[in-house]
Amino acid sequence: MTQSTINQICKLLEPFNTERKALTAETDISADLNIDSVAVMDFVMEVEDHFDIEIPLNVVSETRSIGDLAAVVEARTKKVLLP
Amino acid sequence: MSIRATKLNAEAAARELIRTPRANRDLAQKLGGFNTIAEGLDYAAQGVTGFNFYSAKGSLQHVLTYAELRLSALSTARKLVSAGLKRGDRVAVIAETGPEFMAVFFGCQYAGLVPCPMPYTMYIGGKDAYIERVTGMLKAAAACAVITSTDLEGHIRSGAAGAGVEKILTHEALQALPQSLIKLEAFGPNDVAYIQYSSGSTSDPKGVLITQSAIMANTQGILRDGLRVTPKDRAFSWLPLYHDMGLVGFCLSPMMGQVTVDYISTPSFARRPALWLRLMSENKSTVSYSPSFGYDLAARRINGEAVTLDLSNWRAAGIGGDMVRADVLKHFGDTLSVAGFDHKAFMPSYGMAESTLAVSFSDVSKPIRIDTIDKAAYKNSGRAVPASTSQALDAVRSFVVCGKILPGHEIVVRDESGLALKDREIGHIFVRGPSLMSGYYHNSSATDAVIAADGYLATGDMGYMLDGEIVITGRAKDLILHNGRNIWPQDIEWAAERVEPLKSGDVAAFAVEGEDGDDDVVVLVQCRATSAADIEKLRREVSAVVHHSAGVECAVVLVPPKSLPFTSSGKLSRAGAKQKYVSGEFVEVAARDLLADAPEFLAAAQ
Repeated sequence: MTQSTINQICKLLEPFNTERKALTAETDISADLNIDSVAVMDFVMEVEDHFDIEIPLNVVSETRSIGDLAAVVEARTKKVLLP
Repeated sequence: MSIRATKLNAEAAARELIRTPRANRDLAQKLGGFNTIAEGLDYAAQGVTGFNFYSAKGSLQHVLTYAELRLSALSTARKLVSAGLKRGDRVAVIAETGPEFMAVFFGCQYAGLVPCPMPYTMYIGGKDAYIERVTGMLKAAAACAVITSTDLEGHIRSGAAGAGVEKILTHEALQALPQSLIKLEAFGPNDVAYIQYSSGSTSDPKGVLITQSAIMANTQGILRDGLRVTPKDRAFSWLPLYHDMGLVGFCLSPMMGQVTVDYISTPSFARRPALWLRLMSENKSTVSYSPSFGYDLAARRINGEAVTLDLSNWRAAGIGGDMVRADVLKHFGDTLSVAGFDHKAFMPSYGMAESTLAVSFSDVSKPIRIDTIDKAAYKNSGRAVPASTSQALDAVRSFVVCGKILPGHEIVVRDESGLALKDREIGHIFVRGPSLMSGYYHNSSATDAVIAADGYLATGDMGYMLDGEIVITGRAKDLILHNGRNIWPQDIEWAAERVEPLKSGDVAAFAVEGEDGDDDVVVLVQCRATSAADIEKLRREVSAVVHHSAGVECAVVLVPPKSLPFTSSGKLSRAGAKQKYVSGEFVEVAARDLLADAPEFLAAAQ
C-alpha cells in the first residue's frame, strides 16, 4: 500500500475530521474520529467516486483503519486496470 | 461486481427497462380488504403496477411488476419446499432492497413458511457486531434456514454457526433448486404472516409476530384512512425492508393497494441523500416517508440542485420513527419550496412494530399542528399547559401533534397507577386493536410485560391527548433514538464491558437531549486506570467498540470506580446515572487527578 493512496484518503477524510485529529494509516476511521454511521457512508461514497471503484458493504464492515481502506482501494483499482 | 450482477445489468440494458406505470387502467383499485398477503398479491398481479429498483447512482436496475413478483414468488415457494423446509418453519432472509428479497418474502407466503427479514451491515468496521446480532436473531427465531446474498454469505455463515443453523443458501443456490411438485398451501387468514426483528437489544432480540389479520388491518388503515390513496399515487422509498416502516409502509401496503413503488437502497440514500429527491422529482412521486433526520440530511445536501427539481406532486411527506422535529421540517420545506414542495404535505405519524406499523396519522390534507406548552408546568406537574405568546423561548416546549388513531383501534393515556388521564395530562400511552402483534415469538414473559389482560399494549412512550389527537413527548423506557434507529443502551454497555479490564456494571449508557432536540449518546465508564496512557487507551477502546457495535457517535466519560449508582436490587440505575451526569455530580477521571490519588496508589504498591 502506497503513501500516495493514504494521502489521498486522508485528504478526502479531512472534511469529516471535525475534531482535527492527526491522521495516520493506523487511525480507526469511525472510532478515533468520532464519526457517526451516516457520515461514514458519505465518506465511503467520496472514496468510491474519487477512485472510481465500488466497495461492497461486507467489505466496508471489515474495514477499520485508514490503512485497511487504502489496501481495499488498491486491490480494487488494480482489478479495474487489468485487461 | 459479481458475474451474475454484470449479466443482469446487461440483460436489463438489452430489455430497455421501462418502469411500471402509476396506476392500473383495467383493474379497479382496491385498498386492502383481502384475507391474506398472498390473496392481495394475486389481485395486484392482474394489473401492470409494481416495484422499480434504482441503483446507487440513480439508474433503473430492475423492474418487478406485481404479476412478475407473483410468478417468481410461486416458483420460489416450490424451491423453498425443495430445500427441505416444512410448513411453519422460520426462514431468515437478509432484507437487501431488491427482487431477490421480494421473491423469498412472498414465496414464503405461498409456501406457508414464516419469513424473518434480517438486517445487513452498513458500518465501517461493523463486522463482528453484525455477526453477533445475526446469531442472536437466528436463535430467537429458531430459524430453519437463512437466505443471503453472495456478498454477505461469509458473515452469515459465521453468524449461523453460532446459532446452530445449518441450512444457508445464497439466492443463486436457492433459485438453482428444482421446483417441488407438491400442491402449495398458502397461509390462511388465521395464520401468521412474518416475524419482524426491529425490537429488542442484540443481547436479547425480540421477534414481533405479525398475523395475516394484523397486517390486513394495518395496511388497510394506512391505505384507506391514513394516506387516503388514489390511482394518482406513486410511492418512493429508501427505508430498509427489515424495518417496519420500510416493510409494512413501503412494500406490503403499496402492494395491497396496487400502488407502484420506486426504491433506492438505504445505503444508496445514506451515500447520496439528494438522490431521494431527484428520483422523486423524475417519477413525480406523491408519497414518501422518512424519520426527521432523513429530511435534515436531504435538505443539507441538495444545495443548488433544488431549483431544478419538481416536488409539487409530493402530497404525503410522512414522518415517523423518531421524535418529529418541527425545526427540521421547516428547514426542509423552506429549502425545497423552490422545487414546488408544499409544507402542507408533511404528515406526522406515530407507530411501532408491535402494532404492525401504524397507530395514528395526522390529517393528510392539513398542515402540521404544533402544540407549544409551558416548560415549567410540563416538568413539574406533568401537564401540557398551553404557553402564552409572551413567554420566552426557553420557557416553552413545542411538540408536533401526531394525529388520530386508526379507526377500529383505541388509544388511552394513563398515569402511573393505571388511571386514564384527560386531555393535556401527560402519561403512559397504551393502544389496542386488530393491528397488534400476537406477541413476541417464543417469549411469553416479554409479551406479558407489554400486553395486559385487557388487550392494551404498553407502548413505552409518554404523551398526551389533544382534541382526540396524540402528542408524543418522550419515552418511559431507556431506548436511545438516533437517526430513526432504536439503540438499546444494554447493547452499548454490553459491548463496552468486554474492553479489558472493564467488568459488568462498569458502564452506563444513556441519551441526553442535544441542542438540536435529537438524542446525544453518553457512555459513562468506571475507570481504575492510573497512568495517562492507560486512561487514554481505555477511552479510545470504548469509543471504538461503541462505534463498531452501535454505529453512533458518543461522548465517553471516564468516572471514578464505584461512582455509578445502583438500584436496591443491585441493577445499574441508568436513570440515576443520567441524573448525576446532567447535574454535574461526576468528576471526570483525568491524568491530572492522579496526583491526588498518588499516596493511596503508592501505599497499595508497597
